[in-house]
Amino acid sequence: MKKLLEISLGIVTSVGGYLEIGSIATSAEAGAAFGFQLLWALVLGTVCIIVLVEMSGRFAAVSHHTISDAIRERFGFNFFVLPLIVTVLLNLMVLAAEIGGVALAGEFATGIGYQWWAIPAGIVVWLLLWKGTFGLIEKGVALLGLVTLVFVIAAAKLGPDWPELARSVVPSLPQHDGSRYWFLAASILGATISPYLFLFYSSGAIEDRWDESYLWANRAIAGIGMIFGGVIAASVLIIAALVLRPAGIHEITDYHQLPLLLTSVFGFFGLVLFIASLAVACLGAALEIALQQAYLVAQGFGWNWGKDLRPGQAPGFSLVYTVSVMLAAIPMALGIDPLDLTMFSMALTAASLPLTILPFIFLMNDKRFVKEHTNGRLGNLAVLLIIALGCVLAIVTIPLQLFGG
Amino acid sequence: MNLARDIIDKQLVDRHKTKMGKVDGLILALESGKQPVVSDIEIGSITLARRIGKRAERLVRRLKRRWGAKHSQEPYRVAWRQVRDIGVDIELALDVRETPIFDWQAWLKVKLIKRIGGA
Repeated sequence: MKKLLEISLGIVTSVGGYLEIGSIATSAEAGAAFGFQLLWALVLGTVCIIVLVEMSGRFAAVSHHTISDAIRERFGFNFFVLPLIVTVLLNLMVLAAEIGGVALAGEFATGIGYQWWAIPAGIVVWLLLWKGTFGLIEKGVALLGLVTLVFVIAAAKLGPDWPELARSVVPSLPQHDGSRYWFLAASILGATISPYLFLFYSSGAIEDRWDESYLWANRAIAGIGMIFGGVIAASVLIIAALVLRPAGIHEITDYHQLPLLLTSVFGFFGLVLFIASLAVACLGAALEIALQQAYLVAQGFGWNWGKDLRPGQAPGFSLVYTVSVMLAAIPMALGIDPLDLTMFSMALTAASLPLTILPFIFLMNDKRFVKEHTNGRLGNLAVLLIIALGCVLAIVTIPLQLFGG
Repeated sequence: MNLARDIIDKQLVDRHKTKMGKVDGLILALESGKQPVVSDIEIGSITLARRIGKRAERLVRRLKRRWGAKHSQEPYRVAWRQVRDIGVDIELALDVRETPIFDWQAWLKVKLIKRIGGA
């Protein structure tokens, strides 16, 4: 019974980790520009993130190491420093985008510009972490995050053409705007396969003292949680295709167009729901990313870490998230467009994937870490495919960033 | 045991299981006619920087001279005989509070964290 509760909470938490400003913005963009056609990128990304999250959880449960700890231990500090620097910088950008998302919700709710909400949003994120009762807050925010299911209801109400939707699961070539199409595909994959998500997940498994008895729970949480998240993101894409496109919006040039996703279905009440969804989803993600930043640095250098420690018990750990949140709030307060930053950082995330995922293929086959729970052939093939996909994305996103974005 | 594979970069914990850094480096004692033996574990950013390269080490040393405490100018060494257990982590017999390793965190706690009420 206790485990069942843990599993349901785990699922809810991973839905919270999946849906954030990145997946909302990229799905909405893709739906507006290409209808259902880019659905395949979302499906592919979701399959990849399920595989990686399951491996992270299995690795932590069996080896009692977080992924970051193990990368340093297995490959040495000189290799570790590369993913460390890249992930820390990307985390900062994505954290800024999430704080921007919370700030946008503030603007939609009050009419006062998001720049003015950036610092208060940063303070809220920091206070929730600083007070050191994150375990409780994490679950609270995750439960509130269920409000995002409203996107699924809206999509169902609009009644998409199911056969066409099913056909979009298979990748197809674009009829127009080729570079934009591939840029959006890369951004969707970057938003879905977020390194912070599986790194965070392995730290959570250590914090919750998982052992081998959790392996099936891990599978359930990874599978069901990520599918749930994928369905919500797909709903955003469907709504954008059925609402924004017919209204003549083929490109989201202005973030003010985003609330249309729900207002067109639910009217004024839709605005309230959109604000709540955006605020909660981005707040949850901001908390996770700030914490992941602190996990990464503390684990890399062997400092004390833990989400329920008071700052006095883990000063270095607390310093990292404090500085990260401060640095991330500044660009938003200065008026950088949250939507532009989101699209930019999602594409960069996609380009960084080979570096963060390459270690998996070694770690998941190292018996000194995972004992008899090494990857099967299918698992290894999946990781290799994700790395190959990451390499392609790394090569194509940079030029596409210049021409398509 | 393979030192590079099994010891370097592992997590160190003190006798109260408090995390106290990683095995950043190892010191081998050489005596003629005998096998080299591990005498100490080195902990600290200077050792890490040295592993990356000479230039990185010079940079970290310069930063330490400018900003660091007096006793942190050289990496901290723990005698190998202090090792109590090698498992997921390497457990040492000492108490991290009796070493200068986390003096900077203690400083942070007194100067900053206590003032904003998180101690």
